[in-house]
Amino acid sequence: MKPAPLDYIRATSVAHAVQVLAENDGDGKVLAGGQSLVPLLAMRLSQPTVLVDLGGLGELSYIRDESGHVEIGAMVRARTVEISSLIADAVPLLPVALRHVGHVTIRNRGTVGGSTAHADPAAELPAVLRALDADVVVTGPSGSRTIGAADFFQGFLTTALAPDEIVTALRVPKSAPGTRVAVQEFARRHGDFAIVAVFAAVELGASGEIAAARIAVAGADQVPVRAAAAEELLAGQDPSPAVLRAAAAEVAGATRPFDDIHGTADYRKKITAVLARRCLEQALPTAERSSAA
Amino acid sequence: MTEQHLPPGLIGARVRRKEDPRLLTGRAQFVDDVALPGMLEAAILRSPHAHARIVSVDVSAALELPGVFAVITGAEVAQACALPQPVIWRLIPDQRMTDLYALAHDKVRYVGQGVAAVAAADRYVAEDALGLIEVEYEQLPAACTLDEALADGAPLLYENWPDNVSCRQTVPKGDVATAFAAADVIVSETITYGRQMGTPLETRGAVVSWDPFTDRLEAWLSTQSPNLARDLLGEVLGLPVERIRVRTPDVGGGFGNKFDFYGEEVVAALLSKRSGRPVKIIEDRLESFVANAHSREQRIEVEVAAKSDGTITGMRGTVYGVLGGQLSTVGIGPCWAATVLMPGPYDIPNVEVTVVGVVTNRSPYGSYRGWGQPKANIAHERIVEKLARELGMAANDVRRKNLIAPDKFPYPSPVFYYDSGRYEECLEAAERAVVDRGWAKRQAEAAKEGRSLGIGYSFHIEISAIGPSRILNQAGLQHSGFDEESVRIDSTGGVIVRSGLSAMGQGIQTALAQVAAQTLGVPLDSVTVLTGDTETNPYTGYGTGGSRGAALGGGALLRASTRLREKVLRVAAELLEASPDDLVISDGRISVAGTGVGGRSVSMRDVGDATYRRLDGKLPLGETPTLEERDVLDPDNTAFSYGTTAVLAEVDRETGRVQVLDYLIAHDCGTVINPMIVDGQLHGGAAQAIGGALFEEIVYGPDGQPLTTTFMDYLIPTASELPAFETVHLTTTADHIPGGFKGMGEAGTIGGASAITAAIDDALRDLGVGVVQLPITPPRLLSMIEAAEAGGTATDVEEQS
Amino acid sequence: MTSLDVTMTVNGRTVTGRVEARRTLADFLRKDCAATGVHLGCEHGVCGACTVVLDGCTARSCCTLAVQADGAEVMTVEGLADGTDLHPLQEAFWARHGLQCGFCTPGILLTMRELLADNPDPSEEEIRESLSGNICRCTGYQFIVEAVKDAAAVLRASSADRG
Ligand SMILES: Cc1cc2nc3c(=O)[nH]c(=O)nc-3n(C[C@H](O)[C@H](O)[C@H](O)COP(=O)(O)OP(=O)(O)OC[C@H]3O[C@@H](n4cnc5c(N)ncnc54)[C@H](O)[C@@H]3O)c2cc1C
Ligand code: FES
Ligand code: FES
Repeated sequence: MKPAPLDYIRATSVAHAVQVLAENDGDGKVLAGGQSLVPLLAMRLSQPTVLVDLGGLGELSYIRDESGHVEIGAMVRARTVEISSLIADAVPLLPVALRHVGHVTIRNRGTVGGSTAHADPAAELPAVLRALDADVVVTGPSGSRTIGAADFFQGFLTTALAPDEIVTALRVPKSAPGTRVAVQEFARRHGDFAIVAVFAAVELGASGEIAAARIAVAGADQVPVRAAAAEELLAGQDPSPAVLRAAAAEVAGATRPFDDIHGTADYRKKITAVLARRCLEQALPTAERSSAA
Repeated sequence: MTEQHLPPGLIGARVRRKEDPRLLTGRAQFVDDVALPGMLEAAILRSPHAHARIVSVDVSAALELPGVFAVITGAEVAQACALPQPVIWRLIPDQRMTDLYALAHDKVRYVGQGVAAVAAADRYVAEDALGLIEVEYEQLPAACTLDEALADGAPLLYENWPDNVSCRQTVPKGDVATAFAAADVIVSETITYGRQMGTPLETRGAVVSWDPFTDRLEAWLSTQSPNLARDLLGEVLGLPVERIRVRTPDVGGGFGNKFDFYGEEVVAALLSKRSGRPVKIIEDRLESFVANAHSREQRIEVEVAAKSDGTITGMRGTVYGVLGGQLSTVGIGPCWAATVLMPGPYDIPNVEVTVVGVVTNRSPYGSYRGWGQPKANIAHERIVEKLARELGMAANDVRRKNLIAPDKFPYPSPVFYYDSGRYEECLEAAERAVVDRGWAKRQAEAAKEGRSLGIGYSFHIEISAIGPSRILNQAGLQHSGFDEESVRIDSTGGVIVRSGLSAMGQGIQTALAQVAAQTLGVPLDSVTVLTGDTETNPYTGYGTGGSRGAALGGGALLRASTRLREKVLRVAAELLEASPDDLVISDGRISVAGTGVGGRSVSMRDVGDATYRRLDGKLPLGETPTLEERDVLDPDNTAFSYGTTAVLAEVDRETGRVQVLDYLIAHDCGTVINPMIVDGQLHGGAAQAIGGALFEEIVYGPDGQPLTTTFMDYLIPTASELPAFETVHLTTTADHIPGGFKGMGEAGTIGGASAITAAIDDALRDLGVGVVQLPITPPRLLSMIEAAEAGGTATDVEEQS
Repeated sequence: MTSLDVTMTVNGRTVTGRVEARRTLADFLRKDCAATGVHLGCEHGVCGACTVVLDGCTARSCCTLAVQADGAEVMTVEGLADGTDLHPLQEAFWARHGLQCGFCTPGILLTMRELLADNPDPSEEEIRESLSGNICRCTGYQFIVEAVKDAAAVLRASSADRG
């Protein structure tokens, strides 16, 4: 388990990184935290000719409070986001979700850009981006463009990123004050990739009715799934057990899961409904707990 | 309870381990830390196919890669070896043997079987070179499962065999047919136990240096059985054993995986001979999942005949061992153990169990802590639970009715004599502890909240102190089972114990030090225990397995130390002008009994000096200089430890997830040397049992491809999945072992799955679910729950993976 | 294939070396810096045996290339004791039998050190959660958990002493 021969270039700027990628015509690969890439190199499942290390790029390490959204630089570590008070206030779903990513030691190194670009269908961050309609900012030889999460994630480990583009930032809309969030993740062991995870952010109206709900699922399709029908069903309703149950069924209905050794598609669909119901119960005031601490 | 009292002093004390300071500070030396001048690193090219004929192997491009020193193919290995890879457990006289060499040369019979190997400047280059070796295969239809291998017209792994059955043997006791004919009730069950692996955190490895001029071979192996490895290296390589030196550095866990003798050791030796350089082979984690011996995979049919009061009168069964494409060092051993131990702790007069060993296109089946006993246990415990349900009795009442009574020892089972035990007391100790811990109340309270908690028990026996060489030979073992220990006091009174056992985390150095220190009357700190070198240390038969280290090593050392103590007293008597009978030793000082503090005394140092250096006038005439004794213990019988496991578990009926909430073991392993180490062994074994019951499974695809080759997929439980463990100890000594030690290294692994399945059944008792497939993963349990809710038979679930 | 010069501080000493770009930090530390307390149990990020402290935070040295650590400050288990005084975690693991084969131990000690720095008085559940990134095949974890609780108490007391 040792990586195949490769070249290594430490990028001095985003432009430099993009230039190296362009010169290598698809055989170059960006190295961020390395928590997914280095094991793939060691297994020789990935054999790029050159690695472009973004590790030295301070310009990609920032969390910025913008009007209406926060912008997170691609090289910000998951752990930094998880413990940021700015993020906790502005996007409360994010830290709750990131706590399910591996372990602290993994999150110390893994970056938000890396997790987004890697696009593992069971990963938490892409599902949150999808739930919150975040934008992914990418930069290529001809400049930057912004891609909505719905369009960015295209398939299993597949994104809208061109071979010579890099992710430079995430723009995550701020949640309305008082938004209630919850995550229900089913993994075989603590810290494992989810078999299925459901993420919810719910705004309540003046009389306790559901004003708006945002729900996404990881592990239940080749891409993160947004449960639009469930969200519609919930909007304007009182959070009664029957409503939550119906919404949970809709969440499961939106998935197109796959088989693997940890569970069949059928199993994933079944537990999606269970997790979705529990997630909504956890998020909503009728349940005993009000946040997924 | 009539608990016997532990002997006072260091034996029985919770002392800190002597091994630890090095391990805690990064100063230990594991095999991958061994670095010799000029050393090369090797890698093995492994078969990507489950079953294929090797048409050709072209290594020319690999040889040309800069940094590559030697390449060897399977054909070359076969030519260079005197014998194929050995099988030491030849329990069934007419068993068909697989007789394959360290690398494959005609056919490959499982994914991961080695076909060629490279030694290069480092492992990076060695792996580069593997990519340059071209092997042409002709793929063959494979028999990847038990059913495929047994089917009519199945592809044959060995074309000179009539089928894929390597062996079949029936072990009888009494008259089973009559017992079943006269039974009030008969219950039967078929249990499927998944494929699992010991998975020590340190993978296997070897460093071998073969001097091509003198044919002397020095090896550093991460092995549990250094003497066995040395003898087998000699046999396979055709070398006299005195030219072979095996050193065992620190071993990062063994669990049976490092008991067996693998092809990698042989390949490293041959590559070293070729290159003239020391060669290191460290298996990486991906390889470990195909190159290590797998274990546990069996299909077990079990049936009992009973009276309506719960008395079991007969047991019948068949154990299908799902062997791999080649026999491992231990052959049919673990499957045979599951067979002959199937009646377990129960006094069943009539027994007839058959073992069938079937080769499949999977990795070889070998040793894993427990060695067949977890399967024997699941068979007798599942069937007892089922019988109890059938009769409307509590399972523990059925157990009580059938447990072997204390006055029946030594008890003749179909093959072994169980030495001693107070089984019913042990069961009751567990039941009391469960009451004390309030499990029933927790269960009832949870039920009010709609949660499903269950309580399950199991009773296990554990064959330990694996020893009697002649009996083992008669059974078919091609090796001995005695243990030799030596103990020496040096010129300054320090004590050195030398042992042939391997230190692999089980605290053997500390345990032996405690035995020597107490027997000699010296402080623990003055004792050093050396292990890990066949050239300087005594011979141990078998190896560090079979829960024999502490029992046999402890017993041999106790005897040697007792004799050494007598000599110390004779020398001290001369120095003190007293009679040896009047002397006592305490804390390294020998004094005249009854003279109190300040009385006449000499130190161990004085005795050492009188024996090694300034002898005249001090060493009694007729005494030889030096203070050294050795002893060999080849016991008359093995010993049997035993215990009760109780589990409180919660089942999530909506997802099928099981969480073990509390875990208790009541246990008896004779005299305990260090209760802290015993508890640690029980915890670790229980953790492996929980892994095996709920998480761990080596899964193969339909084409014989292994699908679980990383730690992401082979799920070893972490701290978040495991409960706290509670232990309760009884002491019934093994009177045929000096010191009364029984040994217990495997205990925790044996009864865990049985207790967990019982707890799951209990949590789901309204549904009548009976778990018979392990591991019981969430998807499997959910489909059982759904089938039961839909009114189907709860145990009849389709295999899904 | 490029080789590059790297310089880093390992347990307080500056080391320089020329490494192939593909060399992992784990191999660099083990083979080029003699820090053999860094153990490799999986080389794919799951077992935690290779955990080191990289610029103040724990990191898997098997999932990091040596070149990525150029200029960094690295601590391995060899740097945990203060001279020959064991760290309170090491003492507690010894007293509580928190290790058997010891292969997992270096990574666990460094992970627990980080936990106790972030959370000086963790609950049993928090300790177990933090431990869950490190596989131990020998102990069943219970004595590790107890050792961490003991060490936490010692560390709290000593920081209280210091005011
Ligand atoms: C034991 C373990 C457990 C884990 N558990 C989880 C989990 O539960 N959930 C989860 O979501 N993840 C998990 N991960 C993965 C972890 O979160 C990774 O950190 C993350 O997926 C990738 O981030 P990285 O910064 O390490 O990226 P890298 O590994 O450096 O790169 C990953 C991929 O993204 C590309 N890439 C990286 N950055 C950019 C960029 N800015 N622009 C373009 N391409 C880029 C790389 O070229 C590569 O293909 C786990 C990892 C391990 C080792
Ligand atoms: S060796 Fe790095 S995590 Fe296992
Ligand atoms: S002590 Fe052996 S792996 Fe933890």
